[in-house]
Amino acid sequence: MAASGGSAAADTEVPATRARQRPTLPRPGTGTLVRAAVIAALLLFVLFALPQLMSLYYVDAMTQVAVWSMAALGLGVLVGRVGLVSLGQVAVLAIGAWVAARLLFATAQPYPLVLLEAGLITMLLGTLIGLPALRLRGLYLALITLMLAGALTVVLATTNFPNGGPGFLGYNGSQVHIPPIRRPSIAASDPAYFRYAVVVAVLMFLLVFAHIRTRPGRAWAAVRQSEPAALAAGINTWFYKLWAFALASFITGVAGGVLAGANHYLYSLNFPTYYSITLLAVVLMGGAYSLWGAVIAGLLWALLPSLLQNWGVSADWLTILFGVGVLQVLTTAPRGLADQVPKDLARLGRAARGLARKRAPSESSAG
Amino acid sequence: MPSWQDFEPFIVSGLALGGVYALSGVGMVVLYQATGVVYLAFGAVGAMGALIAWSLINAHAPGWVGWLVCVAFAALVTLAYGMVFGPALAKRDPLVKAVATLGLTLVLFGLMDLLWTTSGGQSRAITLPTDNGGFMIGQIQVTWTQVISLALGIVITVVTVVFLRLTKLGTAMRAMANDREITATLGVPVRRVEAAAWLGCGILAGLAGVLLADLVALDATTLTFLVISSLAAALIARLRSITITFAAAIVIGLVHDLLTPIQSLSNYRDATPFVLAAIALLALSSGGGQVLTRSREEA
Repeated sequence: MAASGGSAAADTEVPATRARQRPTLPRPGTGTLVRAAVIAALLLFVLFALPQLMSLYYVDAMTQVAVWSMAALGLGVLVGRVGLVSLGQVAVLAIGAWVAARLLFATAQPYPLVLLEAGLITMLLGTLIGLPALRLRGLYLALITLMLAGALTVVLATTNFPNGGPGFLGYNGSQVHIPPIRRPSIAASDPAYFRYAVVVAVLMFLLVFAHIRTRPGRAWAAVRQSEPAALAAGINTWFYKLWAFALASFITGVAGGVLAGANHYLYSLNFPTYYSITLLAVVLMGGAYSLWGAVIAGLLWALLPSLLQNWGVSADWLTILFGVGVLQVLTTAPRGLADQVPKDLARLGRAARGLARKRAPSESSAG
Repeated sequence: MPSWQDFEPFIVSGLALGGVYALSGVGMVVLYQATGVVYLAFGAVGAMGALIAWSLINAHAPGWVGWLVCVAFAALVTLAYGMVFGPALAKRDPLVKAVATLGLTLVLFGLMDLLWTTSGGQSRAITLPTDNGGFMIGQIQVTWTQVISLALGIVITVVTVVFLRLTKLGTAMRAMANDREITATLGVPVRRVEAAAWLGCGILAGLAGVLLADLVALDATTLTFLVISSLAAALIARLRSITITFAAAIVIGLVHDLLTPIQSLSNYRDATPFVLAAIALLALSSGGGQVLTRSREEA
């Protein structure tokens, strides 16, 4: 860059010194620091204060929020970052839960290792499916994920989830007393497991954050804006799309593992095909593009039904709401609540300020 | 391995089921060609129509009134959806249009569970008067309902092919599939053509709802997601050819029912449409998964 204020005579000196200086990293602005501090404070509150304030019923609900936020995060990476719609993420969750349950029964491995393995195996399967499927265009990719999820649901209804039985499937149909899926020794109680789930969720969010800030994130943004342009710019679009698939599968697989420990008992009824559609709905409503959107999606999915159930309102109203939400998001607010609510609040703020100014015309300057 | 006798009744039921899948699949293909929308709520509107019919019949209304209301309901909801959300999403990607119909599916699904709850183990059933009559082909019992299902599938397929090729409205629909903008500039009333397509699809959804409620089960979840079997047939035809949709639908119906007597595979037979569609889609990808295509004819 041009030397600022250096005279022509000193040109030879100044550039040389400047060249020897190492470029300094940009210091994070106050805005970023404030936001980081707020998030950290919120996390501390959630981890330590929240379990004391809530009844066990809500602690369980919030554990589900943590799990489904991760699932929503995975889907959000696909839909929001890359523009791929998957209508089978709940099937992926089921795979993660199945693998984790099988490992937890069959081995005595520590929990974090089991979660990692569940995530990696799910990632492998997701990548294998992505290899042929990613050649399809958007609509057909969505439909094939729906098809594969449907097929898996049928298979799971017959093979069932592991319950301590023998063989590869680990299912014992005739057992009367089914052992529960174990939890980590440090987090056996419900509030402790809630904290464990939140920590795992935070790690997954950090993983995605790291991706977004580095090369994959930039490649995904390029693909999302215009795939032909990205191709022309020399980006290996297929590879980065596969990477997104792998990342989403990994996160969802880990979420499945956490779900296995949360529920203690898994049944194929817990993973019906239409859940994948509802998951897409909450991800769209929460905002597929933002990380906060995944949290909102998790809250919509797991906390709202618990609240409604407590108040005696049928959860079907939520299904209807989510359907309406999908229609609304697709026709008006493509970025979902996470983007819309701050905008609406800002608009509200401006309107309020305008009203305040009108009420006190003597204080305003030129009216 | 079961004997031929064990398979025989399932050939008949498979053909009947295939007939209904065919009439659903044809409806979806025509709608896609005319509007670019893959109508995933097809099953849900039929299911809700069937449940409304069930309620009416339970309240001692005559059977034919119930069926008529079912078809009318499905047609009206589909038309209303098409007229409200069609223009709003007209310029968007087919994926967005399809996901929007999923929104409609969720709304209907929630309404159905709210109004006709199945908790408490209630199960409902529907019988058509044509269930009782029938005839024998050799050792196999064939009911009139099954004959109607297959016949309707064949008739709708033939009528649709003739309609698209020979009538003015049909040609207009084919033109819109090729290029909506140019069709509009040629003076074709595109909104009216779209409305006709939505209405036709809705009527077929109602018919399919009635027949599937009788042939399979009157259960909201089952009926809503049976659309996937018809969708599979449509996908095998690349959302383009009516006759291939028919053939694929018959095959899907047959394979699904013929797997019933085979012990080792019987439990997995519900995966038939999913597996066949997945294979078809992957075969599609090796043919033409281009990033840029303009016309729906090159789906």
